[in-house]
Amino acid sequence: MVNQTLFWAAAAVYAVVICYLAWLGYKKTKCNDDYMLAGRNIHPVILGLSYGATFISTSAIVGFGGYAAKLGMGIIWLVMLNISVGVLIAFMVFGKPTRRIGKKLGAMTFPDLLGKVYKSNFVQYVTGLIIMVGMPLYSSAVLIGGGRFIEQVLDVPYLWAIIGLTVITAVYVVFGGLVAVMYTDALQGSLMIFGMSAIMIITLSAVGGFDGFQSLTDMSHLVPAGLASTGMTGWTSFPELGSATWYTLVTTIIMGVGIGVLAQPQLAVRFMTAKDGKSLNRAIPVGAIFILITTGVAYTMGALTNVYFYEKFGKISTEMTGNVDNIVPLFIDIAMPEWLVVMFVLVLLAAAMSTMSSLFHVMGTAAGHDIWVHIRRAKFFPSRLRGSDEDASKLRVNKIGTFLMIAVSLGLAFIMPGDIIARATAMFMGLCAAAFLPAYTVAVFSKNPSRLGAIASLLTGSIVWAIWTVFVHQAESGVLRVSEILTGNPSVLDFPWTVVDSLFIALPLSIVALIIGTMIERRRSPAVTEA
Amino acid sequence: MFGIDDPWILLGYALCFISTAFGVVYGLLKWNEEV
Repeated sequence: MVNQTLFWAAAAVYAVVICYLAWLGYKKTKCNDDYMLAGRNIHPVILGLSYGATFISTSAIVGFGGYAAKLGMGIIWLVMLNISVGVLIAFMVFGKPTRRIGKKLGAMTFPDLLGKVYKSNFVQYVTGLIIMVGMPLYSSAVLIGGGRFIEQVLDVPYLWAIIGLTVITAVYVVFGGLVAVMYTDALQGSLMIFGMSAIMIITLSAVGGFDGFQSLTDMSHLVPAGLASTGMTGWTSFPELGSATWYTLVTTIIMGVGIGVLAQPQLAVRFMTAKDGKSLNRAIPVGAIFILITTGVAYTMGALTNVYFYEKFGKISTEMTGNVDNIVPLFIDIAMPEWLVVMFVLVLLAAAMSTMSSLFHVMGTAAGHDIWVHIRRAKFFPSRLRGSDEDASKLRVNKIGTFLMIAVSLGLAFIMPGDIIARATAMFMGLCAAAFLPAYTVAVFSKNPSRLGAIASLLTGSIVWAIWTVFVHQAESGVLRVSEILTGNPSVLDFPWTVVDSLFIALPLSIVALIIGTMIERRRSPAVTEA
Repeated sequence: MFGIDDPWILLGYALCFISTAFGVVYGLLKWNEEV
């Protein structure tokens, strides 16, 4: 149990600094452009830290750290993809054209960017709706992760933990906009770098330094029979190629999250806050080091918890607690000195709040800017409810939209199952990649993007992803139970399809739909192609 | 190395450090380049 006096003293200092940054954000938010994009003038170091802190949530540290304790170090490939795809390719390849096109077209949000590139309100609506339906799944998972941890370590009832976490984050997002979100992200990101570095050093000393890796290798005979029969070979080796564990690790966790990061609206919008392309280049070193330290430590520590628990209690990590999401908090609580337990609680709060604040902001602006602003102009809409076109009115609408989407996330956190953090994160990222990645890629690289291709890709990607998730991929279909009720089976197909992530089916079909849609449009209007 | 025998795990760790180093060097080389 954490030292309560020490924690609340540290938390008070943390809260005061957060309040100060939120107030700064509020003072700097004078118009809608400030609220939505931080005035397109954010400092590169703040951009790099904010990108990393938004990217890495409690899901990464507690959820995937727990997976590393269960399935071993193969998950290090996710760190590699997080750096090479999530930072290098994202900033170097996607970031610059996104910033340039966003500024040229005056786009304020990710759906707005796609809508303006494709000259289609429908594209903007569909993208906004997918965000409003899919993103609460992720924001609630992050909230649950933060809430469960507070409950376990601080002995605060879960209900109050998630309400408190939501209210604090909501205040600075609603009033301070993206400026407050990114300033607090930078503080929270710095805290995460320092805390995770300290945790790595103390974890290594707790398991006998680098000899801990040899100890972990020597424990391969302790792999639970259930996991061994599905392909797990040990904690310092990769699962057997083609086994169920291999499919889960590679298709859902490594590839699903590793590729899914490229088309996440809350990260793409970060590129649009940069003043120029030079700022994006300068943010790369900060982002890469941040990801290496935070996720690299979380996954390595996760696997090494097995050595610590086995030497102290004669049990492996999954035998210490039934829920993989509890492994990392339990290890920190038992193995770390008092000051570092307090530090880790603050790190996790920072990780949860920095990700949640960005998700709240993106969902709110999707509801306000992308959906409401257009719907209110529709003929069927009562004129007295329309509001004005003035900037102040739009700013108020975005604040109301943000508040409403925060309420939805909080409601969902009450009904979602507890051990779903890593799974819900992978689901959301898979949906983003399947629905958005092809259309987003064409939007930033094609001189003549096809509207029909984009619409076909958005709809195909999201619908196929949903069908595969509900009826085939057993990890989700088994929990959702729709397939079981309708067909009598949790999955309508057999192995290996039951363990192939939805992304691997929906993304290729989404790409095919984009190509077919583009070809049909070109045939209809060849003149456009030549223009 | 360090008691880890599986080349896939070692390669994963190596690529993490290589890609981070690449990101740092790239950012520093392009620090003042107008884009």
